Amino acid sequence: MSILSLRGLRKNFGASEIICGVDLDFEAGEKHAIIGPNGAGKSTLFHLVSGKCAPSAGEIRFRGRAIGGLPPYRINRLGIARSFQVSNIFPRLSVYENIRCALFWTSGCGYSFWRLVDGQGALHDRTEQVLERIGLAGKAQVPAGAIAYSEQRALELGMAVAGDAELVLLDEPVAGMSRSEAENAVELIRKVTAGKTLVLVEHDMNIVFDLAERISVLVYGKIIASGTAEQIRADSRVREAYLGEACHA
Amino acid sequence: MPEILVFATLNGLVTGLLLFMLASGLTVIFSMMGVLNFAHASFYMLGAYFAYSISLWFGYWTGLIVAPLLVGALGALVERYGLRRVHQQGHVAELVFTFGLAFLIEEAVQFFWGPETRNYQAPELLDFPLFTLFGQEFSAYRGFMLAISMSIFLGLYHTLTRSRVGLVIQAAITHPQMTAQLGHNVPLIFTMVFGVGTALAGLAGVIAGPVLTTFPGMALGLGSIVFVIVVIGGLGSLQGALLASLLIGLLQSYAIAADVGVPDLLAMLGVEFPGDHPLDDLWTLHLAQVAPVLPFLLLVLVLVFRPKGLLGKRE
Amino acid sequence: MSKTLKAKAGLWGGYLAVLLLLPQCFDSLLAISILNQMTIAIIFALSYNMLLGQGGMLSFGHAVYFGLGGFLAVHALLLMERGSASFPIVFIPLLGGLTGLLAGVFVGSFSTRKAGTTFAMISLGIGELVAASSLILARFFGGEAGISGDRTFGPPLFGIEFLRDVEIYYLGAGWTFLATLCMYLFTRTPAGRMANAVRDNPERAEFIGYSARWVRFISFCAAGAFAGIAGGLFALNYEFLTDENLNLATSGRVLLMAYIGGLGFFIGPIIGAVLLTLMNFLLSNYTELWLLYLGIVFVLTVLFLPRGCAGFVMMHESAWRRGTLHLLALPYLLTGLPALLFVLAAVCLAELSHATGPTLHYLGLSLARDSALAWAGPALLAAVGWILTARSLPRLREAWERANAAEPERRT
Repeated sequence: MSILSLRGLRKNFGASEIICGVDLDFEAGEKHAIIGPNGAGKSTLFHLVSGKCAPSAGEIRFRGRAIGGLPPYRINRLGIARSFQVSNIFPRLSVYENIRCALFWTSGCGYSFWRLVDGQGALHDRTEQVLERIGLAGKAQVPAGAIAYSEQRALELGMAVAGDAELVLLDEPVAGMSRSEAENAVELIRKVTAGKTLVLVEHDMNIVFDLAERISVLVYGKIIASGTAEQIRADSRVREAYLGEACHA
Repeated sequence: MPEILVFATLNGLVTGLLLFMLASGLTVIFSMMGVLNFAHASFYMLGAYFAYSISLWFGYWTGLIVAPLLVGALGALVERYGLRRVHQQGHVAELVFTFGLAFLIEEAVQFFWGPETRNYQAPELLDFPLFTLFGQEFSAYRGFMLAISMSIFLGLYHTLTRSRVGLVIQAAITHPQMTAQLGHNVPLIFTMVFGVGTALAGLAGVIAGPVLTTFPGMALGLGSIVFVIVVIGGLGSLQGALLASLLIGLLQSYAIAADVGVPDLLAMLGVEFPGDHPLDDLWTLHLAQVAPVLPFLLLVLVLVFRPKGLLGKRE
Repeated sequence: MSKTLKAKAGLWGGYLAVLLLLPQCFDSLLAISILNQMTIAIIFALSYNMLLGQGGMLSFGHAVYFGLGGFLAVHALLLMERGSASFPIVFIPLLGGLTGLLAGVFVGSFSTRKAGTTFAMISLGIGELVAASSLILARFFGGEAGISGDRTFGPPLFGIEFLRDVEIYYLGAGWTFLATLCMYLFTRTPAGRMANAVRDNPERAEFIGYSARWVRFISFCAAGAFAGIAGGLFALNYEFLTDENLNLATSGRVLLMAYIGGLGFFIGPIIGAVLLTLMNFLLSNYTELWLLYLGIVFVLTVLFLPRGCAGFVMMHESAWRRGTLHLLALPYLLTGLPALLFVLAAVCLAELSHATGPTLHYLGLSLARDSALAWAGPALLAAVGWILTARSLPRLREAWERANAAEPERRT
């Protein structure tokens, strides 16, 4: 049973159509990469699923429930978490606070203003665990805006997975990292998303082939191929697209 | 009735175009830098005071030319050494800075010119009735104000649509980042626009000072109104600012001229309310009383229901 | 009890002790009146910080909630005077708080959709609307003259009738302590923590399950409620309110207090409230230029100390932890003394130009307005002070860099 399914999904900004009819299914527990040339609409696809923008037409179903057009916080509460291409954190809060905030909702804190957070042992332990896993335990009290770029990327990842969402969307998680940093990041992603459904957008093919079990290729707002790494490597249309020839199939 | 209508329209037009002289500068500054200049009306006040002091020594006409230039230079300095510094801290800090500046300018005016009203007079040359209609006089000075603000509007329109500088500014209004990427010296344009915008505000002060009286509180009342106009007109739209200026000018003028109120309405409906009641004030309300409230009501309604403003292109 | 918890409890105990002991040390009528104003200002400024410092919402209309709370409180006093109601006046601030809360719920329901400029403009519009309406609705607000009540008609509580100002002070101090504690605890709740997060990055907050608007709304309502409590206390203290208590001037003053004290730091607004109230009393008696000085101080704060007094102190935290604070002492002295000289001389010139009599008494000196020396002396001192300050600045900057660049001292 697929955890997330897209049917006839379309999105246009004014006259230009960015996503033009995407049908795609994501199986529970799989690691799925979406690749494609620049401007293919990969980030827009993420924005639609995560609620940053509403689809113009079509359907998005998460565990059978239609979520297209819901505000981001509702979608997040249902169990979809995401990271961003550019570090998107709370710069003036400490690293510890960043992670703890990401844990609030799933810990049942809600909007309560009658309960203190400092005395909650379970919340503290979970925060420490996440910090440990992303390797930032030593910088817990440093303001998030003051740590190194690769550390901010790790924090970003930590915030995405902290809430134990079933489906995690990662938008170019290793963009702007050096080779060795990227390798560490891949290990980290593997570790923290174990047992979850992972959908990732990435340009670096090594990482895609390393992490993903299934790959879908998005070109000009359409999925032109979907399959295992071998199938994608062998696909003639994919080659064509990556050689720079527009494919208007 | 027709004479009231004609004069209310003329007065509304004068006020509206005067407001536009302030609003045009503010809109361009707001659209380009994203900062609403709280102190904009303070520059208007400075214009009036500078012109007053100059007129004591060299007469009205020298003040008309020199005072706006002085105000503009001061505005450019404020942008270069004040605003640019707080710019890195974001829009909230900028807004707080201009708020502080408005506060400071009001106190500084009191320091140099004292708290009392200054006797800033229209030139004798224009001290005659331009025409008499239905037995009421329309002074030549008001006609002069109308002419100046009209020509400023036309000049501004021409500059912005026809000249190269105008095109760059237009581009910077709607697409500030893109314009910077195209290699235009955006900081310099900012300083320039700020200087010209405040000079226009100063000019408005010079010509309005003799009519609306020159006193330290003159900025406060007008300042919020100009804000309202820019927001209602819409970000990035000079036409919107013009429309909103005339709208507010006429609205206030008509509201004051039309001597109607809730009692008239109630009388028309044949309803009568008890005379002594805690809510007495509500059904003895007159339109003239409500006139100062209307712009702010409009502001809140526009911000809540149409944040883009009337003709705005961005939110 | 853990160590930090003990330290915190100690801090709060100290705060309460200071509040209670102050009227023992300063018991003149004037001092009590200043202290009363201080407690009101503390609550009001802290409530403003909930908006701007913690929630990132710049408001130009916070006086609305203060004023409405105050007006309702005066009306409650009037009801008691007429005998239509009777309850101990200790609860009047609570009534003010409820009024502020209700007004906050109403305005917040449409104004918290966005922060930034939009929010600031709506707050300005609401502020002007309410201020202008208060003049129209003369029955309730008393028009230009305002309304006044009498706090002595309430039933006495434990034999206290609140006739004397010092009794009102203790009432106010109690409410101040309670309100400060509540506002501090609010910052430690999920809603308070998320207010900080939304201030920093509203978009991200939405992707971890929180509606930025709802988070802002909660802070906004709470800020309105506490401002209303301050307004209620104001009503009890002065027994008199006018339209000025809810217009832009009051909204601006609380912005100044919170900003100069230091936004974002919990203690900042308290510092600002105490400092500005004190300065207001001390200086406004001596000089009519006090507001000009305040304006200059405010603009300089925005330009050079964006985090206010509290921020200035906190800037030294890293040097203090490194144990290099002593490196700064001499450079500070070398810059501070000439700067002080400049300020004193400049103020002298300003005062001289506005002196009412033929002579100005300034710092123990008697300066004649018509003597050239009285003008030339301060002018010369100001010039010297300015030059010396400017010259010492590079040295201060260098010392600052040295104090903050040094390796932190190892702790064993």
